[in-house]
Amino acid sequence: MSFNGSQIERRLRVSGVLLILGLSVEATSLRWSHPTAFLVFLFLGGLFWGGGILLYLYSLVSEGP
Amino acid sequence: MIGPTAILSILIALSVTLITILVIWPSITTTRGGKILAFLALFILPMLCAAMGASEHLERSKQTQFCLSCHIMEPYGKSLYVDDPKYLAAAHLQNHRVRPDQACYTCHTDYVLYGGMKAKLRGLRHVYVQYLATPSKPIRLYHPYNNRECLHCHAGARSFEEGAVHNADPQTLPAVRANKLSCLSSGCHEVVHNVAQLDKVKFWKVAQ
Repeated sequence: MSFNGSQIERRLRVSGVLLILGLSVEATSLRWSHPTAFLVFLFLGGLFWGGGILLYLYSLVSEGP
Repeated sequence: MIGPTAILSILIALSVTLITILVIWPSITTTRGGKILAFLALFILPMLCAAMGASEHLERSKQTQFCLSCHIMEPYGKSLYVDDPKYLAAAHLQNHRVRPDQACYTCHTDYVLYGGMKAKLRGLRHVYVQYLATPSKPIRLYHPYNNRECLHCHAGARSFEEGAVHNADPQTLPAVRANKLSCLSSGCHEVVHNVAQLDKVKFWKVAQ
């Protein structure tokens, strides 16, 4: 049980870090009005968000009863 | 009045703060309140920030400054300041017939259902061509310019409907409305950007 708990906590931490990176990419891209900023937002930001949100959702479904 | 960018910045800051709390103390998610906080901070708020960010970026892509940030568009931006009323794009910008901050988008979007969406998809293609392919020189429109884009603003306007040249021949206005007689390439308003001639023209110096 404690192993499951620490594993979930680790997943939540990694998910959180990925989301903070995604949000930082978004905040940076919004300071710049250029097509490259949109690409950075879409691909780099999207990668971090996708990873973070999917990992969070996975940690929910992998949590035992 | 707080603008959408400020609201988005506040949301991003709030999300980062809540996520940081969860990263430092993930054990709080064992409680009911902690689970709700985690769902809010790790799912709802990031999704909201992503959606608002995408909307903000799409809105910014309408800006003249955005279009002209690509090197290849530089002469087209310059042509907006030609000091000659025959230059159609310049006359529209300088007399505020189009919003100066959305000059390119106003004339180059399609005024049909999903026209704005199509314009944005074409914009993505432009980015692809700019970085991964070779843009044609000179750049060209995808289709001959449709009168519909001009008529979106000019139809019903007195200067257009009652203009002497437009009414000299009773066939002219119906042909223009049916896009059978082009506003731009029928010898009427054919000087649009004319970037090849920019080294031979005078430029309007905007009063500060």
